[in-house]
Formats: sequence, C-alpha cells, structure tokens
Amino acid sequence: MSQARVNIRGTSDGVVVNIGAGDWNSLVAELTARLEQAASFFKGGRVALHVGPRQLSQDEVEHIGALLQQHAMSLWAVIGDSEETRQAVTALGLETELAVPHPSAWTEPGRTPGAAQLPRLADEAGGEELPAEGGAVLVRRTLRSGQTVRHTGHVVVVGDVNPGAEIIAGGDVVVWGRLRGTVHAGAGGDDDAVVCALVLAPTQLRIGGHIARSPGGEPGRRILPEVASVQGDQIVAKPWGEK
Amino acid sequence: MSAKVITITSGKGGVGKTTATANLSAALAMQGKRVVAIDADIGLRNLDVVMGLENRIVYDLVHVVEGTCRLRQAMIKDKRLETLFLIPAAQSRDKNAVKPQDMIDVCEQLRPDFDFILVDSPAGIEQGFRNAIAPADMVLIITTPEVSAVRDADRIIGLVEAEEKGPARLIVNRLRPGMVQRGDMLDTADVLDVLSIDLLGIVPDDESIIVSTNRGVPVVMENNSRAGQAFRNIAARLLGEDVPLMDVEAPTSWVQRFTRFVRGS
Repeated sequence: MSQARVNIRGTSDGVVVNIGAGDWNSLVAELTARLEQAASFFKGGRVALHVGPRQLSQDEVEHIGALLQQHAMSLWAVIGDSEETRQAVTALGLETELAVPHPSAWTEPGRTPGAAQLPRLADEAGGEELPAEGGAVLVRRTLRSGQTVRHTGHVVVVGDVNPGAEIIAGGDVVVWGRLRGTVHAGAGGDDDAVVCALVLAPTQLRIGGHIARSPGGEPGRRILPEVASVQGDQIVAKPWGEK
Repeated sequence: MSAKVITITSGKGGVGKTTATANLSAALAMQGKRVVAIDADIGLRNLDVVMGLENRIVYDLVHVVEGTCRLRQAMIKDKRLETLFLIPAAQSRDKNAVKPQDMIDVCEQLRPDFDFILVDSPAGIEQGFRNAIAPADMVLIITTPEVSAVRDADRIIGLVEAEEKGPARLIVNRLRPGMVQRGDMLDTADVLDVLSIDLLGIVPDDESIIVSTNRGVPVVMENNSRAGQAFRNIAARLLGEDVPLMDVEAPTSWVQRFTRFVRGS
C-alpha cells in the first residue's frame, strides 16, 4: 500500500505531514490527492512537514507551500535531517523545528489533554458544509442532537444548542440561546478563543487544547449570560460583564 | 378525498409508537374517518398484535411492494371499526425489503379512498425510519419524559427537519404525575424546553394500556381509561378541534379531586 508514504495527522500544534521515501513527484501527487479527499478536514490548518533525510530545494519547498495554500492551509515548518533542506527552509522564512511556536497550547501537558486528543476541525463526515473562508458564520436555528457545525472562523448561533449537538470553531463561539451541547472554540489550537451564551450549560466545553466538563447539577431556566475563556491553565466561566 | 399521511416515530424504541398508532387510528375511525394504519416496522411487526388482527394476516406490505398481491388483498379490516384498515409488516424480512419510494407509491394509491394514513415507524434512524417518513405529510414524535428518549427525539426532529417534513409535533407519553410532583421525572415543560416543537398531547402512564395491548383492543375504546381519553383528545386535535390539554399533572385521589371541585378549579 502506498498510504504509508504520506502520513497526515492532527496535533495540538496543527497538522503534521510525514513524507516517506520514494519519488518526490509521485509523493506530491499523493499528498494532493489526500488533501483533496479530506479538504474540509484540514481547512485552515497550519502544517509542519516532516521530510526525513530527503534533500529539498527552495523551489520544492515553495511548491509544497503553494499547494497547501490552495487547500487553505499554511506551511509553517519543514523538519528534515538534511542541511540543504534546512537552509532552503530557513531561506523561505519557515521554521525547521517544531518546539518553538504556540507555547500556550502546551500549558502543563501532563494535566491538560493537548488538542491532539481532541477531534480536529471537521474530523468526521456529516458536518454541515460551511463557507471555506474565515470570518464568522451565523446559524439561525436550534442545533439538535446529532447536528454539527464546523467552521474555521467564529460561529454565532441564534437559537439553542441542544445536548448531543456539537460546534467546532476555529475562533470564538457565541450562542444567543441555551448552550447545552458540546463546544470546541479555538479548535485550531487558539487558547485565546472564548465561548459565550445566554445560558452556558454545555455538556463539554473545549477551548484550544483545554477541556472542561459541565459542573453538573440542574442548570435551571434562569438566563444568566456567561463567558468562558482560558485563565491560566483552565477554562473559567464568568457572568457577562464581570471583570 | 385525499388522505393525510401521518408518520409516528420516536428514534428510541419502546416509547409507545405502536400503541399510539393503534390508538390514534382507532380514535380517528371512531369519529367516522376512513383510516389505514401501515406497519413500517418490517421484520419486527407488532401493530397487528396490538390491534388484535394478527390471525387475519395473509399478505403484508412486502408482498404489496414486490407485486405478489394487490394492495386491497393486504388490507385487513378491523374487527370492530368498519372504517379502519391495517396493512401489516412482513415478519420474515428486513427493512431493506422496502424503499422510501415504495412507501410513497403505496400511500399515493391509498390516498383517494381514505382520510388518514398512519404509518408506524420502526425505532432507529436507518432505512426503516427513512421509509416511514418518506410519504409523510405530518410527523408525530413520541417521547417519554426520560432524558434518553428526549435526546433521541431531538435527533429525530433534526432529521425530520432536514427532510423538510417539519414542523414535527410532539406527544409526551407515559407521564407519571406523581413522579413529576416529587421532582423525580421530567415534566412536560422540561421536555418542551429542549425540543421546542408544538405539543399535540400528553398521555399519562396507564396500566390499562398494557392490558389492552395484550388483549389486542385499543384503549381508546374504553371509556374509563385516562390514556384512552388522552389519545381521543389527540385524535380530535388532529381533526382540527380545539381540545384543551388534559390535566394529567393534577392530583388524582378522590379527596384531592373533591378539594379541587370545591375550590371550583
């Protein structure tokens, strides 16, 4: 099987693509095919490319960068063993190491399950098709059990988000209604994202690489708008307007 | 005359789809309407049992769809109500023996001669459910006041809306007023809070349902059953009458009833 030659996975730091040994052009063709298959899965992701011992020229790296751009992804790092590759990559202003960026995504890795374990943007079929560009999307109805909204930008719902429904957003999530389903804001690894709702009682709340369960108990029908954000290493919900 | 096709579904099993189909069919027929009940639960048929017509089955829905018999041959006339018919499901096949288009075709053939066609959906969200809602003009969602049933109902409502069969209407089945009063059961408001669709009726939990189901006599035919009354009210609402919701959340002992009577409520 050829599938082992190009390996794509999501981590807390974006998408990691491993390219194995073989003819460069056919590997690029395979990568293209894989990206097309799951276009919505990777949309908006930042990509780190692992090329192993292979030597890549500046042109080849640029080509890959352009290819990913076409699929609404951005190349930010190329990791290779070869000095020539590294020079080509540095010349293009990209990283050659994974460890540097997004330190916030890894606050206390032992305690917070990095986003690697969390489902990524559009990881399963059946999600609602939404426009590819960033920005915000407005959903003006109740999201019911089994319904999912995925978007690389912000998501605004005018209506309730019922238990069993799911919102996965690259940016913030605003619910003008009761939020009782599962929400992942900053699903691309952005810990600065916030979730707000008129009634904030989600089954599970995720922001960036952080995850919180609802404290349980009956949320009651009273409307108390709240905002949830990451403070330190945990998700904190505060009544709207409270500093 | 063109019949209205009403599909009764729930997502979760065991919440009362078949009971509701049998009772609403009978209640509508008692009002003189011409009614066909279709059991779409192929492979697990039991609408015939609940209606007490099991021993009269010769042909079933799959025979009709496959052209083994004419539609009329598969229609079983109820033993008490002149205007009520049943098209039973096959017991030996599975859901894939019928396609959504088959259900639409069967209902189209029936429409000119009837007022109502009630389709009893199987549990689940697969082919059987797709078959059942394909011909529907109206979808009734049955749920019990349990979190799991409400969750499934919510899912089903979403699917019904996606098929553009909405807005679905809700029947809350097996409510136990005593438990609601003690705070041990979701009340109707809790259910509606999540599902936010029109409430068509509330059916109290009633032992007479079990007795009537086992005997094959729909409970709507018994005057002193509260569940029977609830189903008769729902049927009346389907006919466009404005019947107030039954006060199932009321106290039921005679002392309490007397107190309420004295207070004039």
